[in-house]
Amino acid sequence: MNAQEQLREMTRKQHQHEYVCRGLFERKGALSYIGHLDLKAVFERALRRAGLPILYSQGFNPRPMIVFALPLGVGIDTEGDWLDVSMEVPFDPDEYVRRINAELPEGLKVIRAVSIDEPQNSIMSVVTCAEYRIEAKGITKPVLDLFSKQEVITMKKSKGREIEVDIRPLLIKPLTSSTPDSVEYMCYAGSTKNLRPDVLLKALCESGGFSKEEADEARVTRIALYGGEYPDISAIEGLT
Amino acid sequence: METRPLLIYNSDMHEEVKVPHSVLMSVESPGRYVGGEKNQIVKPIDDSIVRTVFCFPDVYEIGMSNLALQILYKVLNGPEWSSCERAFSPWPDMDKKMREHNIPLYSLETKSPLNEFDVIAFSLGYEMCFTNVLQMLDLGGVPLLSKDRKDSDPVVVAGGPVTCNIEPMADFFDAAFIGEGEEVDLEFTRVIKEFKDSGKKDRKALLKRLASIDGVYVPGLYTPKFENGKFKGYDIEDGAPATVHKRIVKDLDSVDYPLSPVVPNNNVVHDRAYLELFRGCIRGCRFCQAGYLYRPVREKSMKTLCEQGITIMNNTGYDELGILSLSTSDYSELGPLTDGLLEVFNKQHSSLSLPSLRIDNFALDLMEKASQTRKTGLTFAPEAGTQRLRDVINKGICEDDIMSSLELAFKGGWSTVKLYFMLGLPTETMEDVEGIANLAIKIEKLYFDTMRSIGAKPRKPEITVSTSMFIPKPFTPFEWEDQNTEEEFIQKQTTIRNMLKKHRNIRYIWHDVKTSCWEGIYARGDRRLCPVILEGYKKGSIFDAWDQFFDYGLWTQILHDHGLKWEDYTRGRDVDDPLPWDNIDVGVRKDFLKREREKAYKEQITPNCRQQCSGCGATCYKAGICP
Ligand code: SF4
Ligand code: SF4
Repeated sequence: MNAQEQLREMTRKQHQHEYVCRGLFERKGALSYIGHLDLKAVFERALRRAGLPILYSQGFNPRPMIVFALPLGVGIDTEGDWLDVSMEVPFDPDEYVRRINAELPEGLKVIRAVSIDEPQNSIMSVVTCAEYRIEAKGITKPVLDLFSKQEVITMKKSKGREIEVDIRPLLIKPLTSSTPDSVEYMCYAGSTKNLRPDVLLKALCESGGFSKEEADEARVTRIALYGGEYPDISAIEGLT
Repeated sequence: METRPLLIYNSDMHEEVKVPHSVLMSVESPGRYVGGEKNQIVKPIDDSIVRTVFCFPDVYEIGMSNLALQILYKVLNGPEWSSCERAFSPWPDMDKKMREHNIPLYSLETKSPLNEFDVIAFSLGYEMCFTNVLQMLDLGGVPLLSKDRKDSDPVVVAGGPVTCNIEPMADFFDAAFIGEGEEVDLEFTRVIKEFKDSGKKDRKALLKRLASIDGVYVPGLYTPKFENGKFKGYDIEDGAPATVHKRIVKDLDSVDYPLSPVVPNNNVVHDRAYLELFRGCIRGCRFCQAGYLYRPVREKSMKTLCEQGITIMNNTGYDELGILSLSTSDYSELGPLTDGLLEVFNKQHSSLSLPSLRIDNFALDLMEKASQTRKTGLTFAPEAGTQRLRDVINKGICEDDIMSSLELAFKGGWSTVKLYFMLGLPTETMEDVEGIANLAIKIEKLYFDTMRSIGAKPRKPEITVSTSMFIPKPFTPFEWEDQNTEEEFIQKQTTIRNMLKKHRNIRYIWHDVKTSCWEGIYARGDRRLCPVILEGYKKGSIFDAWDQFFDYGLWTQILHDHGLKWEDYTRGRDVDDPLPWDNIDVGVRKDFLKREREKAYKEQITPNCRQQCSGCGATCYKAGICP
């Protein structure tokens, strides 16, 4: 159990009930250039401005109880990320969407939300796969080629050493919606198996399939997150 | 070191600056360069609007914690005909990329290059940011020297405490605001609007017109005279005032305080909202420039503050409110104010961040209430190590007071103490220096004695001694004093270090001597320093306020190359010598400063403004505490 989950556990024990508003959100523009912790703080402040009855963790330094399904790297847009906000009382998800959107800075928006009564698992632990879109000139062919390979080796830093890793098993499938300069694919994501798009781009450049300059300009969007065991996957909103 | 490549940028039309994704992804904290924060104000780009860009010559995170920025942003975005945007110094990594890719420095709101604005307003909070001013102008496509600017170029103006002696930067600024900007800002931009609307283009005429506004200094109208390397006064152009008077806000309650400040998206230095309790300080410590510059003391009413504090928190979503002012303990209604705020905050999971308070029963109680969590450290600023020297500097704090309040604090469970001192104060002897270490040692002993007397098990106390360098500053009774040399400072630091070496509960923190010494050159500098600063910038110096970037050797060399000596600026002056800042009037009169200087030598205390008026001259403002 990590520290955040521990706190959650503590809080859960003290409160009778936890009412979660689970929201699907998008991020683009200026807001895409901040890190994950900053994004969390931006949401926290928006929730406070909106005057929502958010639940705070217990302990010395009470924090609003909000959990993201998967961290979002600097520079990545999203159309399909989820976050759970715990409320002190049952709260209408549509009202939540309306109020938080009035306070979020431009570029961040909660698209829709559902309410979950007493979730069994942290939203972080249910994520297993993600869909991404990478836009760059001529990106699609080299990415699709990866799917026909047996292995895709790249170097990864681990405990101060560079080690070889094969990222091929982390790739699931290309999506049919790809166009020549915009490739969409599904890969493993979450706390156990995870393929970050920048690692994929790095592997691509190392294999000579793509130029570093083009890769640096590539725009990455997370399209969706899923839970469940591939191919038996399901939408995040229903998973508790 | 090579000369830095200057930017080749020239544009007559508005063009939104687009920074490539790859550039943003290659620099540290790209969130600094994209704007898009909650509460930012984006006004249209329109010829009928006077467009100001507020420039903060340091990195985004520091600038966004600056109250002046938020205040003036609000004021200048007030009228329909005026807009204000923001720009900050790009960090060296971004600076390099911008030059490589020919990206001009732009405002965060509309991404307009700086040279498209009507007014470029810099906030100068400390001298060491000077080269960053040049960096921002240069990257923004604005000629660095005022005399090189064309009719179509922006008017470049400075504000902030440093403008009380802007001479070292006089060649780069078209104008400077003396005093508090809230009122003069709009008067200034209104004149520019009239000029713009009338279709007139004559820059010289505009600057002369601006010089007629009370509180606006146009350095180009004053030509300094030097004889044998000594400053001998100014030749003043016709129509320019002989002295420029400081402007102040008389009634702080009436100021349109920013209740919805811009909330940064990326981690700023202090992630909290701020509330200013009052301006000025009643105390008159003789080394303290702020204490004289911001006279007279003017308080906001408790009612205003309570309302504002609560509104700011609701409008920003911060969970911490910092209360600010020069000497917060002196606010006359601190108790009721903090009680009022804490009552609301406790229900909202918010907290109050207290600055260092004068430690007494009240303060300890307040600190206990404000930080429900753990006991934070206690802070004292005796500034000098002996009572004699504390009397010289008029620091009304005596050892018995410190000891009795510490005893109280130790009994209450505190064990962390920070002590701030200055080295190189006028009349200082080695006995005074040793007094600093001795005081810390006494406090260490007091901790263990107190624990023993109440039968408590002592923890490991943490006593921190921090010394900074005394720099004589204009508009203080010490403006004529000699500044210690680098060697003297280092010797004093070494003495203290050696005395505290064996005391494992005492930590000694000393500051970089070089940066402070150089700051002293700027503080009492004159116009001969302008070419020095220009060359320093061209040779690659930026972010001099950051020790890791300050190149002492380079600067000393450049000073020398311009035929100037260190001592030209750090030496003591005769009280009758003309001073480069004599054409500025901050309300506090020179004869008062002379009197204070005499009293300092006689080790005589001057009562604070609340006890008794000492007739400093600031009563001319008919505001605040003055009779
Ligand atoms: S108390 Fe003294 S040092 Fe502090 S602001 Fe006032 S005059 Fe300056
Ligand atoms: S005029 Fe008197 S009360 Fe006013 S600031 Fe000066 S000394 Fe203080």
